[in-house]
Amino acid sequence: MTRILAAAGIALLLVAPLLTGNTFYQHLMIMVLFSTLLGTSWNLLGGFAGQVSFGHAAFLGVGAYTTMLFYLKLNLSPWLGMLAGGGLGALFALPIGLICFRLRGPYFSLATLAVAEIVRLVALNWEQLTNGPVGLLITTLPQISIAGRAIDWESKIPFYYLVATLAVLAMTLIYAVSRSRFGAYLAAVREDIDSAEAVGIDSVRVRVLALALSAFVAGVAGGFYALYFRYIDPDAVFAISLSVEMVFIAVVGGLATTAGPIVGAVVLVSVAEVFRERFAAGHLIFYGLFMMLVIRYLPEGIWGRLRLLFRFAQG
Amino acid sequence: MEIFLQSVVSGVLTGSLYAMIAIGLTIVFGVMRIINLAHGEMVMLGMFGAYWSYVLWGLDPFVSVVLWSPLMFAGGMLAYRFLLKDVIPKGELNTLLYTAGLSLFIANLALFFWTGDYRTLNLPYALMPARPFGIAVPIALAIAFGMAIALTAALYVLLSRTDLGRAIRATAQDPQSAALMGVNVQQISMITFGLGTALAGAAGVLLVPSLYLYPTVGEILIVKCFVIVVLGGLGSVPGAIAGGILLGLVESLGAVYVSVAYKDTIGFVLFLLVLLFRPAGLFGVGRT
Repeated sequence: MTRILAAAGIALLLVAPLLTGNTFYQHLMIMVLFSTLLGTSWNLLGGFAGQVSFGHAAFLGVGAYTTMLFYLKLNLSPWLGMLAGGGLGALFALPIGLICFRLRGPYFSLATLAVAEIVRLVALNWEQLTNGPVGLLITTLPQISIAGRAIDWESKIPFYYLVATLAVLAMTLIYAVSRSRFGAYLAAVREDIDSAEAVGIDSVRVRVLALALSAFVAGVAGGFYALYFRYIDPDAVFAISLSVEMVFIAVVGGLATTAGPIVGAVVLVSVAEVFRERFAAGHLIFYGLFMMLVIRYLPEGIWGRLRLLFRFAQG
Repeated sequence: MEIFLQSVVSGVLTGSLYAMIAIGLTIVFGVMRIINLAHGEMVMLGMFGAYWSYVLWGLDPFVSVVLWSPLMFAGGMLAYRFLLKDVIPKGELNTLLYTAGLSLFIANLALFFWTGDYRTLNLPYALMPARPFGIAVPIALAIAFGMAIALTAALYVLLSRTDLGRAIRATAQDPQSAALMGVNVQQISMITFGLGTALAGAAGVLLVPSLYLYPTVGEILIVKCFVIVVLGGLGSVPGAIAGGILLGLVESLGAVYVSVAYKDTIGFVLFLLVLLFRPAGLFGVGRT
C-alpha cells in the first residue's frame, strides 16, 4: 500500500509541471514542495521525537546564508553550497541541541525561540558578513549543462525538479528513520523520556542526532530558498513567523507521519493562495482562522485523520 | 553617574509595564498550563482601544484605562469560553498552535482595519520630560508606572486576600484537588484568562503615549514576555514583576554600556542562561 502510494506520488511529481505552462502555477507547485521540505524537517524533530521547536528558521537561515556567501564570496558552486548549507545547519545544531535539550516541554520550545532570535539579531548586526538588513542578492546563476543542453535558470521547471528531488529524498529519509531502530528510540523519547532513559537510551544523544538531521534538511531547504528567490535578508529567513509556519505545516498534515507534511503543504499553500486572491489585504486573517479550525476539529492533522479512518475501514 | 541613573530610571519605568504584561501571561500559564501566544495581541488591542478613544472622543488614556480594562476582562472571558475551552484538553502543543493561529487572526484583522501605519499619541501635557534632580523622566511613562503599580498591587490583593484569589491559587497548585474542595475549575480558568487579558490590555492602554503602535507590535512584546516569565519563573507573579524590571534594566543599561544594536540580544542570552542553570527562574519559584 505504502509503495503504491509512493510510486503514484513520484509519478505525479514527474508529470505535474507538464500539465501547465502557467508560471504562476509552477511557482505554487514549487512552494508546495518547498513547504513539504520545511514540514518534513520540523516533523522529524517535532513529530517523531516530540521536541517542539519554535526556532527552526535558524537552521533554514544558516543554510540560506551559507549557500549565498559560499557562492558570492568564495565562488563555490551553489549546488555544492546547498549541501554545505545543510552540513553547516547540522553542525550549528549540535551546540544548540546540547544546550537546549537539557530542557523539556515548553521550556525547550522557548529556548529554541530565543536561539533563533539571537541568530536573527546577529545576522542583522554583523554587517561585514551578512550585509545586515540590506540582504544579499545573486544576479546570475552559473551555467550548467545536462546532456548537452544548458539549463535555463529563468524558467521555473529546473527549480521544480530540484525541489521535488529534495522533497522526495527528505521524505525517504523520514520514512527510513521511522522504520529504523533510531526511529524507535525517538518514539520512546517522545512517549516517556524517563522510561526511555531507564531502558538505556541516551536521550540527549538521540535528540541531538534528530535535531542535526532535521537541521540538515532545513539547511538544504534554506539553500534552495536562496537560489530560487536569489535574495535573502535576516527578516525573511530568520523570521519567527517562518518557524511557526514550519510547525503549522507538520501539524496540519499530521504529526509523526511521512506523508503528513506534503498534505499539510498542499492544503496550506492552496488555502493561503485562495485567500490571497479573494481577500487581497486580509488574507492572513482567514489563514489564522483556518489554522484554528483545523486544530480545533482535526487535532491529529488531515493525513493523521485520514490514516485513522483508513485503518478503521480495514478493521 | 548621571547617565547611569538616567538608564536605571528609564529601565525601571519601562520594566514595570513589561512586568504587568508578563503577569497576565504567567497567571494564565499557572492556572491553565498554556502559553498564550496571542497575549501580545491583547496588548495591541488595548493600545488601539486607547488610541481611538483619544482620537475620537478625546479620552485621555489614563482615564480610558478604566473603560478598557473591564472590556478586555469580558473579552478575555468570552475568548476563553468560546475559543479556548474546548481546545485545551486536546493537548499542550495543539493549544500553543491554536493561540498562534489566534494571534495571526487578531493581528491581521487589526492590520486590515487600521493599516500597518506607525501611529503615535502625544499628550499635550507630556511633551517635555520632567527633570527632578537633573534626570529626565518622561511624564507619560511616569504616570503609567504609577498606575501599573496600583493595578499590580490591586491584583496582588485580589490573589492573596480574597476567596477568588485563593481559588485561583489553589487551581494553579493542583486543579484536581481544587475541584475536590469545591472550586469550579472551569469558572476559575475563565476568570483567570479574563484577568490575564485585562492586564495585557491595561498595560497596552498605559503604554500608548510612550510607544509607537501598529498592528503587529504584539510579536515583539510577546517575545519579551517569554524572556521575563522565564527569568522570574513560569507561573510566579512576584517572579514576573522582578523579571520585568530586570529586563527593563538590562535593555536600558545594555543600550548605553554595550551596544544599541545588541541590546535585545543581551536579554535573550540572559534568558538562555537562566533557562539552562535555573529553569525554575532566578528565584527558584517557577514550575519545572
